[in-house]
Amino acid sequence: MATAKAMQQPFSLRFASASFLTLWCLIAAFPIVWIAVMSFKSPVDAFSANPLNVVFGPATRADGNGLSLLDIAVGLAVLVGAGRIAFTQLPRWVARFTPKGLIVVGWLVGAGAFAAAFLLVFFGLLPPVLAVLNSIAGPLGTPIIGLTAEHYYAVWVENQFWRNFQNSLIVTAGVVTVSLTVGTLAGYGLARSGSNLAFWILIVALVFRALPHSVLVAGYLPVFINSAEILRPILGENAPTLYGQPLAVIAVLVAINQPFTIWMLRSFFQNIPNELDEAARVDGCTHFQAFRWVIMPVMWPGVITTGLFSFLLAYNDLLVTSLLLDAQNQTMVPAIAGYFNRETTTTDQVEAVAAAVSITAPLFLLVMVFQRQIVSGLTAGAVKG
Amino acid sequence: MTLRTLMMAGMVSLLPVSAAQADCAFENETPVKVLSAGFEAWKAVTDAMAECGNVDAELDQEFRTKQPAAFAANPSLYHIGGVANGTITPLLNEGTIRPLDDLVAEYGENLAPNQLIKVDGQTMAIAMMVNTQHLMYRQDIFDELGLEVPTTWDEALEVAAQIEEADVVDYPLGATMKSGWNLAQDFNNMFLGYGGQFTDAESMPTVNTEAGVNALEMMKALTEYMDPEYLVSDSTYVQQQFQQGKIAMANLWASRGAAMDDEAESQVVGKVNAAAAPLAMEGGAPATTLWWDGIVIARNISDEQAQAAFRVAMEGLDTEMVKANNDAAIWLISGYQPNRLAEGAIATASAEPAPPSYPSTSQMGLMHTALGNELPAFFTGERDAEATLAAVEDAYITAAQEAGLIE
Amino acid sequence: MKFRTFAWFVGPSVLMMLLFIAFPLVSVFLQSFQVTQPVVETVEVETCTPGFVGQTCVTETKTTPVLDANGNPVTTTEWVGLLSYTRLLQFDQVGAAIASGAFSSILAIDFWKALRFTLTFTLVTLPLVIGLGLAIALAVNNAARSVRGQIIFVSLLPFIITPVIGALSIRWLFYGDGIVTALLEDMLATDISVAANGWAIEFLMMFYRVWHVAPFAFVIFYAGLQTVNQDTLESAIIDGASRFERLRFVVVPHLMPLIIFVALIHLMDAYRAFEEVVGFSSQAHRITLQWLTYDLLTPDDAGNRAISRASASAMLTMIGIVILLIPLLRRTWRDHKGSAR
Repeated sequence: MATAKAMQQPFSLRFASASFLTLWCLIAAFPIVWIAVMSFKSPVDAFSANPLNVVFGPATRADGNGLSLLDIAVGLAVLVGAGRIAFTQLPRWVARFTPKGLIVVGWLVGAGAFAAAFLLVFFGLLPPVLAVLNSIAGPLGTPIIGLTAEHYYAVWVENQFWRNFQNSLIVTAGVVTVSLTVGTLAGYGLARSGSNLAFWILIVALVFRALPHSVLVAGYLPVFINSAEILRPILGENAPTLYGQPLAVIAVLVAINQPFTIWMLRSFFQNIPNELDEAARVDGCTHFQAFRWVIMPVMWPGVITTGLFSFLLAYNDLLVTSLLLDAQNQTMVPAIAGYFNRETTTTDQVEAVAAAVSITAPLFLLVMVFQRQIVSGLTAGAVKG
Repeated sequence: MTLRTLMMAGMVSLLPVSAAQADCAFENETPVKVLSAGFEAWKAVTDAMAECGNVDAELDQEFRTKQPAAFAANPSLYHIGGVANGTITPLLNEGTIRPLDDLVAEYGENLAPNQLIKVDGQTMAIAMMVNTQHLMYRQDIFDELGLEVPTTWDEALEVAAQIEEADVVDYPLGATMKSGWNLAQDFNNMFLGYGGQFTDAESMPTVNTEAGVNALEMMKALTEYMDPEYLVSDSTYVQQQFQQGKIAMANLWASRGAAMDDEAESQVVGKVNAAAAPLAMEGGAPATTLWWDGIVIARNISDEQAQAAFRVAMEGLDTEMVKANNDAAIWLISGYQPNRLAEGAIATASAEPAPPSYPSTSQMGLMHTALGNELPAFFTGERDAEATLAAVEDAYITAAQEAGLIE
Repeated sequence: MKFRTFAWFVGPSVLMMLLFIAFPLVSVFLQSFQVTQPVVETVEVETCTPGFVGQTCVTETKTTPVLDANGNPVTTTEWVGLLSYTRLLQFDQVGAAIASGAFSSILAIDFWKALRFTLTFTLVTLPLVIGLGLAIALAVNNAARSVRGQIIFVSLLPFIITPVIGALSIRWLFYGDGIVTALLEDMLATDISVAANGWAIEFLMMFYRVWHVAPFAFVIFYAGLQTVNQDTLESAIIDGASRFERLRFVVVPHLMPLIIFVALIHLMDAYRAFEEVVGFSSQAHRITLQWLTYDLLTPDDAGNRAISRASASAMLTMIGIVILLIPLLRRTWRDHKGSAR
């Protein structure tokens, strides 16, 4: 067929396309892979000017921390295996064991279980097994690459980073839930209303999205700190101090994220044919019933994609969380920024890198899991309008 | 000695530090909250306070933004604040901290008289440590090349030229000249060293003077011997340059001294010594400022809470804490044993005439910001010294008018 | 849809935006025309501070705020019109610079410096982000199905990583003796100091932004490519359209709404760039408008903050972004009128 032949690409084009992709993947991944490598080295190696020193870590190896060829081979095998399972088996298991309609929950549980299993095998099972193997393997068992997990230990155990992790989970979960609940309603309303008011709400929201956050945040701080005094006439003695409260931060982040959320969801709903809910309304449903029974079942791809963007915003936020939360409720990103203050040492910096790499790991998992949904959600129309 | 044995030695020398735990003399029942900066000395002090129970310490890099507002709230969100001579100003100005004389009389028997920060005769804060920028240098390089430790910045230039000639390090000099706060502070040191005054009696700026131009010219001359990226180099960067053996001397914070001998990070353990900050001009004071860090107690809390807070603070500032964390700072608390690297700070502080304390005034805050924003243009070559200082004065005047300090 | 129903649907969202965005915004707007100052007095104060052994006491005249009966500072608030704007824009100096022909000295004034950089930054990165995003999307669409998942995953990494961390990870490769700089130095046998050169920093900041945002453009475009009408493509082939013509006349028009969407988001985000200045410590050479606002708001050691000028700078930033968005907004208006009932 002529079309098939025309679609067939000449070798030069395919080659150019493939090499371009390879180059891009290299550029995309390199800085991140590099900080991951740095996080496993002693401070002397991590900031060395010689890349070979950073990779092989002579100073780290001299401290007696290292990996042998055997370690590397086994470790790589486990990694590749885990990757294959994540990409091929995991979706199948999730699809098989999850009841219909709970697919999101299924994925979260699946991903969590997978992460736990991986951590257990990789960090719990492998080291002792390999220690035994190394001692009998001779030259294959002598360390060739310096590697140490001490910074991770310092961050997670000594500095109790899991508290920050917990706080991040609370804030992120709160933001995603509230943001999507409020946002879907608004997005639907805006998509189905042709009134000028709807248009102006959208435009104003757009302008709001363009606002520099630092301006807003600086305005919140005095109000939040004094909220007990300000609210006392209304709420009496129970007036809360909003400063430091995760709930207050969730509200702020939801508000800041609303413009983007309602725009995304509005264009998504616009691509759900109007006839669908109109038919329901002819059958006597109210707008809310139509929304509940007709729209909700088909809206998940768009909601997941939008939710992912909310997640990224809440998870990665620095400006709002660093100013409005106290130490007990601090999330991970400001905690990491704290390693870089005026009085840091090189060790602090490598610990910060280790912390940074660890907070990237959940993002990794998330994208791995939701990758298909992101694309299909976007394809289904969240960005057509 | 291999790196591994060095590591072992380091581990052994550190062990008693972590093993020694000071106990609290009393059981604290009242919840006490602390807000301070996050560096090593504060970790040591707040940990010691926490042993009394019911202490909640917040070591926050945003503390200077939060502290004035949080102490102004009623009731105050925190009971104890960690301050330095710069950051105490807003608390003093807004009257959000309380005089401590009664509490000192009752519970402060272990305090030395020079720890009491007095404003108009009232004790407003308790100092725990001093800090200053002074000369750190590589003793081994100076010995090898037969160089004298410079006592003035002119000598420092000559020494730097000789080190450059010998080509033993990447750059002879390092400096904390990151644009913004650090660069302004470096200028302050040099400007005061040349006998400059920042403002006159009417709060009008007086930096566009001979002292100002001299200071800028000297700084520019010094940059010839530095890493060209000096405008991003903060204290941590200079410390790393030292640790990696890239520079031979720098005017660096005394609190950074311990890092030079940290085996885990440093390749120059035992090779770095400290001396008094060099003079900018003959007969002047060392070109630097003296800083202190200490604690204050909030005004908007009950007297019982203030009492508990003060007692907890005294436990945090006791001799046991200092013994356990001797090298974390230049402590003012009895029991402190100055080490080799503290000599420079002590020589600086006891020089005659002594360098001034960093002035804690609203004017100085505005001036510091103006300097930090306008000076980089001089170093990137966009403006000459006088135009830059004129721009600093303009920026200061605008800010001071807005703050209501001048008409 | 009736107004009541509409209000129920939209209400919660609008309420949150009013409370946390519109309300602070109004106060910022008002503050930009006001100056609030403490009432100050000059007093003689004796301050004693510690040396290492003794204590130094100095008596000096200090300006301190007057406190009221409750111990709170007394403040006055005045309406000052456009004073804060003039202080920020410094028209007198701009005029003097134009009169003397020294245009470069205009760029020594913070606001104009920030505006120059922010605009360049926004407008240079915009085509790069869209072009790179489109190129990756086309290439991925072209790749074998078996590796697509992995490639999409890797491509998304720069977008999902925490911005400050991403900026630092690139900074470490270049600043000081970062390994890329060290490599270049070896190859060119010269001494390179990235952080000492304003243009190098500017390039690096743009590189980071493109690296960070191109994946977002990519994933949107890639999704769009999945819905390209195959019939149109085939008829174009039958009409003898070359590969490039098909891209130019079928694929790009199909993606046009998405390109506009990405452009819109990118314009807004790049115009309020902030992380780059912090991550690359570029204050000495390059600043952005949001950084300027942030800097004015950051209290110095003595607790002073230039709230009025910060508010003025924020308002100017907002006006700038609205001007940039007008062409895109007009298109949205037409769509809105066209698509909804």
